Amino acid sequence: MINKSELIKYFLLEADECVNTLIEAIEELEKNGYDKEAIEALFRVTHTLKGSASIVKFDKIAELSHKLEDLFEALLNQELNFDNSLISHIKKIINLIVTLVNEVHETGEEKSNIDQELIELIDDILSSKEMPVKQYEPTTFEVLPITNTVRVELGLIEHIFTSLGEVLVQKNTITDRERELLNIVEEISQSSRRLLKEIADFSDRYWLAQQDSGQKITDIFFTDFSDLEFDRYDEYHIFLRKIQEITNDITDGINSLLVFSENLSYNFKSLGREISFLKDSLLEIRMIPIGKLLHRICEAIKDTAKDIGKNIEIEIKGAEIKIDKPVFESLYEPILHILRNAIKHGIEFPEERVRKGKQPIGNIAINLKKEGNYVVINIKDDGRGIDIEKVKETAIVRGLISSKDASILPEDEILSYIFASGFSTSDEIDLQSGRGMGLNIVKTTILKLKGTIEVSSELNKETTFTIKIPQSLTVNNLLVFRSSDLDFAIPINYIDEILTIEDFPQVMEERNINYKNRNIPVKLFSEFSLSLNSKALEKGYIILLNFSGTRKGLVVDDILGYEEATVNNFGKFLEGLTQYTGYFISGRGIPRYVVDPLKIFEEDIVVTAQYQPIQEQYLHLGAVLVVDDSISVRKALQNILEAKKLKVYVAKDGSEALKLMENKNIDLLITDLEMPVMHGYELISRVRKDARFKDVPIIVLTSRGTKKHEEKALALGADGFIVKPFDEGTISQILSKFELETNVY
Amino acid sequence: MSEEIKQSEKFYCVFGIGEREFLIPRESVVQVLDITRIFPIPGAPEYIVGALPVRGKIIPAIDLAKVYNIERLNYSDKKLLVIDVKNEQIGILSDIAPFFVSFESDIVVEDFIDPEQLFERLKVNSQKNSENRNDQ
Repeated sequence: MINKSELIKYFLLEADECVNTLIEAIEELEKNGYDKEAIEALFRVTHTLKGSASIVKFDKIAELSHKLEDLFEALLNQELNFDNSLISHIKKIINLIVTLVNEVHETGEEKSNIDQELIELIDDILSSKEMPVKQYEPTTFEVLPITNTVRVELGLIEHIFTSLGEVLVQKNTITDRERELLNIVEEISQSSRRLLKEIADFSDRYWLAQQDSGQKITDIFFTDFSDLEFDRYDEYHIFLRKIQEITNDITDGINSLLVFSENLSYNFKSLGREISFLKDSLLEIRMIPIGKLLHRICEAIKDTAKDIGKNIEIEIKGAEIKIDKPVFESLYEPILHILRNAIKHGIEFPEERVRKGKQPIGNIAINLKKEGNYVVINIKDDGRGIDIEKVKETAIVRGLISSKDASILPEDEILSYIFASGFSTSDEIDLQSGRGMGLNIVKTTILKLKGTIEVSSELNKETTFTIKIPQSLTVNNLLVFRSSDLDFAIPINYIDEILTIEDFPQVMEERNINYKNRNIPVKLFSEFSLSLNSKALEKGYIILLNFSGTRKGLVVDDILGYEEATVNNFGKFLEGLTQYTGYFISGRGIPRYVVDPLKIFEEDIVVTAQYQPIQEQYLHLGAVLVVDDSISVRKALQNILEAKKLKVYVAKDGSEALKLMENKNIDLLITDLEMPVMHGYELISRVRKDARFKDVPIIVLTSRGTKKHEEKALALGADGFIVKPFDEGTISQILSKFELETNVY
Repeated sequence: MSEEIKQSEKFYCVFGIGEREFLIPRESVVQVLDITRIFPIPGAPEYIVGALPVRGKIIPAIDLAKVYNIERLNYSDKKLLVIDVKNEQIGILSDIAPFFVSFESDIVVEDFIDPEQLFERLKVNSQKNSENRNDQ
């Protein structure tokens, strides 16, 4: 459980926001008169405030907000006419709320009493639907104690981030240049040392030689002195002196240059530190403690649990960890989904738990940890766990793995199939948890956040989901690599390990490596990006990627290192290049394209007719569209149908099927019922509703053999119903029924 | 007097590809850059010859010769005419240094390029791209 003081903290965060909105909206209302939108906003905000106050049992605030809510509702429904005199009462109530919120801020309790007169007055207004005849007295708002906060538009922060991104680029450039500078200084100082030595040697030798030779006095001024009285100089002497002086100057200069460059690099270092500090604090500004989100979800989940008769407690650790606002918002659905699954399918009913020797109250532990720039969220329930045998079975039935593979695949990899699309081990279909497509969506969302999700489970004991997401989406941690003389980058969070090609000499031919007892498919980046044929790489690296348990390898020419950068979007003109998520410019001004690793490997899974070369229509007796989420069913049907000289289009769900039907002439539609995105029933009803397709025969092909399914499908407009498994005979019968069967054999 | 004339005139920027010249409205021209080095964007359509990094951003460089099938004799001394369409900057290669001209506004100019149409026509669309990839 979250303890009370933590709950209050979140309540206050929310309350401050609500109060601010209240004050702003009321002031607007006062200025502009009746404004439906403003009242709607007020209504929503009072509703929120009422809700969150009652969770933490601040009854006074809850009551006051409740009154306001009623008032605004009456105004919205036009049961009550808006009158400016009303505003002063509303302001009084808001003032009271502000006082109470302030008290909670200071002492953690509500102290002041509610002005009953005011409440009665509002009740009066509400029941009589009339304004009281009372003098309009201007009320001013009290000031919230939290005056040291400012509300900033998110856009402004984004703007600062963009500039910061530029600063980072400049900083990288400077760091590169600094190295150059140090090299130059080093070179100069070495050459000068050589020069000095030469000159010193030479002058020693020359000096001695001169003294020996004892030259005649030539200058008139020197005639008055004897040799010992005055040093005599000829041009050589003067020249040497000068050279020595200059070299001394140079030495001084070089020394100061050394000191200078040392200072400079010290300054650069502190600048770098300051910039990263600035970056971190700026990121902080946009971040929200994750507890605020969990608090919201947990309340909802506990209600749901109670509704279905299960008792649960939720423990949260590390709720104070902050995450970026966009991440925060996108995390809501996935976490809610996992928790819902936990209480629906994971946690057992109290009696069953007691039978198993567990505590009657189910426990869900949410643990949050910071790992570098990532946040790791661990959601563990002590329910019945995931039955790995059942997962295996389903994965085989759905054609996701072959039974041969199933026996040798490691457990964690088999478990990862619960994230596959269209996967569900639960036989029943319910509204909220969906039909097994849920976890697929969870995974997709997490992947979109550049995060990973993994699951581990022990039967009848526990299930743990581990989500790892970057704390912020703005600054990315990237691995920079080179392929065909161009620089690319890949988000570091997908990367498990980096291997060298030399250790896997067969990789180029086999496109597969065996590593740690796993068979990992490998792609060549150069083929993907440049449509180049694979030139035999002698040196190179295999980047091992981990997509929530599924491992893939990517072969690149060279690894350039790790970099933190702000990734820019490609903009509208280039946004079709979906294989990239964006780009950044390196310190040397070279663009580096950030690769979306999901795109590189997605084609392994997606097989759709759109990519097939268009064949000549007249060769076919007709066109059949096969809609099924299982690739093995699609392939099997395709083979049978193509053997019968039919043009076959395939789609893996209803929405893809509809898209295809837009551009292709379809003579027969064969569809599965259970599919992700858009299921078969919806597809049938949509096709039937469309005037263009209402006459296309529809055959349902499903593993659901019950009368109920058949009746529903036929009622929606299907023309036939085949129960899986099917054979060629059944298909032939159907085809001849719709005159698509060839008579020539 | 001169102001009156200006009002009835329209200003264009002229750029050249091979033997041909094209006109584009002056107001959409942002700047003309010397091309020092263009970085190819793997996976982009053939007419996008690459990207030019300018102040932390990249500007895609379009070669209209590939779009209009123009034969080009020499490749030297190219300029990039940067235009602003829908708040985005895109660059068009020009074999000559672009210059400005004006015509009476009622004259219909030939070889006129409408920036918005150009943008819509040439912007990368992912469908096309996946087909390309599949061809390999």
